[in-house]
Amino acid sequence: MAVIEIENLSFTYTGKTEKALDNINLKIGNGEFVVLCGESGCGKTTLLRLLKRSLAPVGEKSGRVLYNGVEISELDERKSVTDIGFVAQNPENGIVTDKVYHELAFGLENLGVDSDEIRRRVAEVCGFFGIGEWYRRDAFSLSGGQKQLLSLASVMVMRPEVLILDEPTAQLDPIAASDFIATLKKINEELGTTVILSEHRLEEVLPLADKAVIMNRAEILTCCTPREAGAKLRELAPEHKMNYSLPSAVKIFSALGGDGECPLTVREGKNFLENNYGNVYGGYDVEKEDYSAREKAIEISGGFFRYERETPDVLSGLDITVYEKEILCILGGNGAGKTTLLKIMSGVKRLYRGKMRVWEKKIKEYGGNSLYLNNIAAVPQDPRTLFVKNSLRADLLQTACLMGSDKAQAEKKVGEIAEKLSVSHLLDMHPFDLSGGEIQKAAFAKLLLTSPRIILLDEPTKGIDGYSKKVFAEMLYELKAQGVTVVIVTHDAEFAAEYSDRCAMFFDGQIVSADNPVNFFSTNSYYTTAASRISRGLYRNAVTADMVVELARKNGTRKGSGANG
Amino acid sequence: MKGWKKDLIALAVVAFLIALLCVGTKFQSVDDYYLTHIDDITPESETVFLSIECKTVLNNYDDLDEALKEEKYVPKDGVILPRTEYVLRNGDTVFDILDRAVRYNKIQMEYRGASENAYGSAYIRGINFLYEFSCGPLSGWTYRVNGEFPNYGCSKYRLSDGDVVEWLYTCDLGRDLDMDMYESVR
Amino acid sequence: MKAFDNFHPVAPFLYFAAVIFVTMFTTHPILLGVSFACAVFTCGMITGAKKTLKSLLYALPVMIVIALTNPLFSHNGVTILFYLNGNPVTKEAVLYGVDISVMITSVFYWFKSYHAVMSGDKFVCLFGSVAPKLALLLSMTLGFLPKLKRKYREIDDAQKALGIYSRKGYLDKIRSKIRVLGILVTCGLESSVETADSMRARGYGLKGRTSYSVFRFTFADAAFVFFTVALTAVICFLAYKGAADFRFYPTVKEINFGLESAALYLSALLLSAAGIFCEIKENTVWRLLKSKI
Repeated sequence: MAVIEIENLSFTYTGKTEKALDNINLKIGNGEFVVLCGESGCGKTTLLRLLKRSLAPVGEKSGRVLYNGVEISELDERKSVTDIGFVAQNPENGIVTDKVYHELAFGLENLGVDSDEIRRRVAEVCGFFGIGEWYRRDAFSLSGGQKQLLSLASVMVMRPEVLILDEPTAQLDPIAASDFIATLKKINEELGTTVILSEHRLEEVLPLADKAVIMNRAEILTCCTPREAGAKLRELAPEHKMNYSLPSAVKIFSALGGDGECPLTVREGKNFLENNYGNVYGGYDVEKEDYSAREKAIEISGGFFRYERETPDVLSGLDITVYEKEILCILGGNGAGKTTLLKIMSGVKRLYRGKMRVWEKKIKEYGGNSLYLNNIAAVPQDPRTLFVKNSLRADLLQTACLMGSDKAQAEKKVGEIAEKLSVSHLLDMHPFDLSGGEIQKAAFAKLLLTSPRIILLDEPTKGIDGYSKKVFAEMLYELKAQGVTVVIVTHDAEFAAEYSDRCAMFFDGQIVSADNPVNFFSTNSYYTTAASRISRGLYRNAVTADMVVELARKNGTRKGSGANG
Repeated sequence: MKGWKKDLIALAVVAFLIALLCVGTKFQSVDDYYLTHIDDITPESETVFLSIECKTVLNNYDDLDEALKEEKYVPKDGVILPRTEYVLRNGDTVFDILDRAVRYNKIQMEYRGASENAYGSAYIRGINFLYEFSCGPLSGWTYRVNGEFPNYGCSKYRLSDGDVVEWLYTCDLGRDLDMDMYESVR
Repeated sequence: MKAFDNFHPVAPFLYFAAVIFVTMFTTHPILLGVSFACAVFTCGMITGAKKTLKSLLYALPVMIVIALTNPLFSHNGVTILFYLNGNPVTKEAVLYGVDISVMITSVFYWFKSYHAVMSGDKFVCLFGSVAPKLALLLSMTLGFLPKLKRKYREIDDAQKALGIYSRKGYLDKIRSKIRVLGILVTCGLESSVETADSMRARGYGLKGRTSYSVFRFTFADAAFVFFTVALTAVICFLAYKGAADFRFYPTVKEINFGLESAALYLSALLLSAAGIFCEIKENTVWRLLKSKI
């Protein structure tokens, strides 16, 4: 029995001519775990919101959306609130009240449930989610991952039949994201709740799903099992941007043209490789690059920092050197102080002990704005905080003028840079209306106008899809070619492995290891890429899917195996 | 926590200093204060007459503040200072004469200086512990010169030879003194 | 363990309202003395003895200043100490100043205890049953403000590290603050749209909203509330009868120890010391229980 049935659904936003959804047909069975994927702007969010009556966007709709055979808009108001739960992307804004218990009770209060019943149901949910310890805490003091879990719990307390989630892990770090996804699986398996979620991070979600729905520009490209997804994509749209977001095992399997059942997890990927491919060529040998001749862009030695006199050290005896013209990725656990390190580097916060030099000059000797002008530029985690004006164009023009261009020059400069970063079509939009990938590019445009020599980036790949990451990395390469130094603080091991020159591990207020990505990730066994885990024991130093594929091709198939690579 | 406490103390000290400055600082002992010389009356000196009375209180004795129901504060006949002749110095106002007289007779008096109120004139709050509002909400001190109620402040009224000044306590905004408020305003 | 934490918020709220009310509307030195001593003790038990003693060190000079300020403005009183610019400084005015300063400090300490006991959520719970909409608004604001504060810092840092705006002198600083506030407002609006979505998704606006509270009103709460209200009523009645009357001008009245006055002092003492009593009882019970573990 299908819980949700979508028949010939088309949707156009008011004021737009292009259809946001075009003739969608989809059946979702009771208790299914469905993953909706597709590049940003393909209509995922619109589709999900149309499933929740109170969040349905304004526009022209044709076709039907049925919940248990009843049209959504004709559903009883209370039933539509309780039966269909919705969790949005940003945990910061999803939380309404100040206390955890109040947040959990909020939905039930709205339904007019009495206090004793609320107490019982909230207690139950706390037990299920293991969040009883926070019960009386202030909601704002929770971490991002905890907040998102709270958002989920405060929806689950109403006992929905269908749970809809719109990129719920986009703003979370990988560990919190895995926890969150594991909880979703638990809800699906133990409560039988139907789960529909849209997601960029397919590495972990795809193996759990019963059904993968791949969307392509307002249409459904295919609806299949996760194992078929790779093959279907290859067959229907080999150039589709989704290919970049697939799990490593699927990427390797697809690239090698494997036959039979597609591996989804690391374990399956590993089995596939070991069963089918030899290891005559044991892997890559990577030589350490010699940095001694390079100029030091930023050098911190013996750096100590804490926010307040009584709080513990965030940095304790930190040593790090950033060389010119490199892309350095700093990785580390959540809340370890990576963002703080970036604030020290950008001079927003100062060390209380230790030395910091920028271009071999003490940071104190930079007066006024000289540390920033044509020197250091930083993009914070939320790039929207950089924009002052109501349109991107006005903002960029102002920046150019402040940098000393006259009006005509400024317009020319902005035009050039917008062209180069392909944001020309976004120039007249409000910066806050841009998507994750777009705002990242816009922030870059603003930075480039100040022609910096060092760029500091805080979690630039948070919430953007695989293809946008690739575009973003290409931008970084181009900058590097122009002689710009880039420091990135990130959780994203896959990104760091693929695109950085050097990776550094930040732990306990110090840099514990720094090396090129190949050595870095092949010696790590927990904090590493999926490709590295898949190829471990078979190939040396293969850390990205492409490297694994290349080695496998070189080695050829084992005799008697089913693969025909 | 510590910061705001320090601020609080600093604020209090500053407030105290400002208060001191506003009031000015001229200390006098009790004896010094009452050491006021009254000029001897000679045939050529100009003089005025002054009396202080609170007879209206006697009619409204129930309204009087409990603490003041003593002869010390409200004499039986309601006369605090009987009509007395004082020498008029050049430029003396009603206030100057009153001030001199109460000091000489050691009668308590509290006033609010000309700079502290909106009228630009000294305002008599209390004489002999009998204050405004001491006997009902409409009570207070007022004065009469030659039988008429001037409609401006006592430190602005210049006296001339032979004037008769009466300080009177009213319990009903002057109506019990046959003062026509409307006329005096006009 | 704080005894007040075990109560339903209504109980401590009423209690503190009562003691502060009694303290603020009397000038009687005995009542104020009792209130002051109990306020300091209660505060010491709730926020820590050391901290309170330390705060007394700061409160004392403030009290002295207040006590000395009164005679500058009030010249009533028969016992004149000396004259200041032609105005008498009297013993009565000084005593009245001391009296007022004790009152202000007691109220201050009561408020300190109140703040330590009544956290934001307790306050919200108080309003929950009376004005649910207001309570929700309050709760949302309490959650929203720290978020806004964090965002402000984030934006400020981002703008600083951008380095394109000059930061010399006050004018530039004000300009940069305005810029940051501008972005903050946009961010705030943006996030409130999403919050509104989250509220609607969970059925906000349906009819018959209830208000949930983690606190339960127990027999102990009822007893405490009854005790507080009854004592306050007794105090008010006795004060109405004139037992709490006191005066400083023109002479300081003698302290009355008649039957009514003694009853008044006793009930004020009982009321003011109720908090201390609860704390001591809770501590003893807790020790006893702990010994059984």
